[in-house]
Amino acid sequence: MQTNHLFSFQRMLLLGKQSFIINKKLIGISLTGCTGILFLLLLFAQYKSHFIHWGNNSYMIVFTLLFFSTGIIYASFSFPAFRFKEKTMVYLMLPASSLEKFLYELIVRIVIFLLLMPVYFWLVANLEGIIVHSFVPELTNYKFSFGEAYSNMANQGRLKGWGELIFAQGILFVLIASFTGASHFSKSPLLKTMFTFSLILAGYSLFSYLLIKGFNLREYHPVHDRILFMDSENSAKASSAILSTLINLCLLTIAWFCLKEKEV
Amino acid sequence: MIQIKDLHFAYPRQQALFDGLSVNLEAGSITGLLGKNGAGKTSLLKLMAGLLHPTSGSLSVHGHIPQNRDVPMLCDVFLVPEEFYFPPVSINDYCKAYAPFYPGFDQELMDKIIVEFEMKAVSNLQRLSHGQKKKFLISFALATKCKLLVLDEPTNGLDIPSKALFRKILAGLLEEDQLVIISTHQVKDVENLIDKIIVLDNGRVIFQQTIAEISQKVSFISETSANAEGAIYSEAVPGGYRLIVPQSGDETAVDIELLFNAVTNGKKIG
Repeated sequence: MQTNHLFSFQRMLLLGKQSFIINKKLIGISLTGCTGILFLLLLFAQYKSHFIHWGNNSYMIVFTLLFFSTGIIYASFSFPAFRFKEKTMVYLMLPASSLEKFLYELIVRIVIFLLLMPVYFWLVANLEGIIVHSFVPELTNYKFSFGEAYSNMANQGRLKGWGELIFAQGILFVLIASFTGASHFSKSPLLKTMFTFSLILAGYSLFSYLLIKGFNLREYHPVHDRILFMDSENSAKASSAILSTLINLCLLTIAWFCLKEKEV
Repeated sequence: MIQIKDLHFAYPRQQALFDGLSVNLEAGSITGLLGKNGAGKTSLLKLMAGLLHPTSGSLSVHGHIPQNRDVPMLCDVFLVPEEFYFPPVSINDYCKAYAPFYPGFDQELMDKIIVEFEMKAVSNLQRLSHGQKKKFLISFALATKCKLLVLDEPTNGLDIPSKALFRKILAGLLEEDQLVIISTHQVKDVENLIDKIIVLDNGRVIFQQTIAEISQKVSFISETSANAEGAIYSEAVPGGYRLIVPQSGDETAVDIELLFNAVTNGKKIG
């Protein structure tokens, strides 16, 4: 078996080069536009907090909102070739293996976003802070630090043990769900993905409601406080962490098969 | 090079398009794939390129199963579809982005064909007309030196000089180990170019012969009457009739349009 046909790092680089040549203008325009919007957004938020009430937590709120909104949108633009039949043909006929195309898309849409988005935000936020501080001295807490935000969360005990994995998988789920939706739906992937997950959530809620009502689970008090294999908060967290990991892996598998079995 | 055996294919919720199709094609020829609208020409090309998956049967291209879309197969197959998309980049940038994927890509050849087609390498692809885009795509396809070139309606949108150039360039560049399949309605555009004809009808191959075989069996003549002795098929044309008659002397040029009409009207050639 020649593994070179399945995966070649060189071809992955070629995919990157090809993507850069084609999208360099778009990348430049998007980065400039996003920087401007982020700058104005931070300035507006600081103005609303009268500058003196601004601090690291305020930065974190803006970051969290931006991270999820841009992450969902960016991941839902995965496999852009699938939006048009003609583009899909070119993409599928490009001499790179499905594994290379899948990994490239996964890295660009999720891994690079996860790594670069915080760095990008940190750079723009601190730059904006310095500039605004020089004009508005009331803005004293203008230095943004992820380390401080992480310490705050850790001190509150939110990221202990399995909590850290649930937190990471929760973030990944949002991005991976959009990524999988983009691989499956050709038109309006974001809307269709949100609709699908809303349906699943609504179905699950209805099922739970009927179950609780039907079996009168409110009155159910197990002798050993044990539900299935979960008998403590920690084991419940462990189950949630493992379940969320499995869900993410399943979603990635679906995305992989959508690419591999794609027809035009 | 291409072996298709007992191929079955149907689009979802539609009746079968191919129901036991079998075709063999060898390298070193330019094959014309002809058929009425909806006969399955484009679908067959997509099956060969791995863009559609057969329901059952076997299909192999140069020893590869197209639906697997493995890299060696993709390096050896280039499809020029009827409708296509180009990113907003120059011809030069397009070549820089896509050519490295094709190990046999010949940049000198590309430059030569571009010049022959009277195009400029700095032109932005999205600002070109449909015909110019098609000429570029054909040039790129030829420069990849892929073993199998699949051209779907290649002359659609080309002006008259470009059609002649297309025939000249394609005929001049084909190598012994290459196979070109041209699906077209414009049979006049590919006359004197193709050396094998396949006619598809209702998802079946109803005719498959080389031009040499056809020439040996029948002649294509013009007469004032449709009742020539032994005429296999006749068609009224301005000033008389075009007829297909059994070969009885000198070989004549194959009139592909007449042949196609005869075959699709159920006439047996040879």
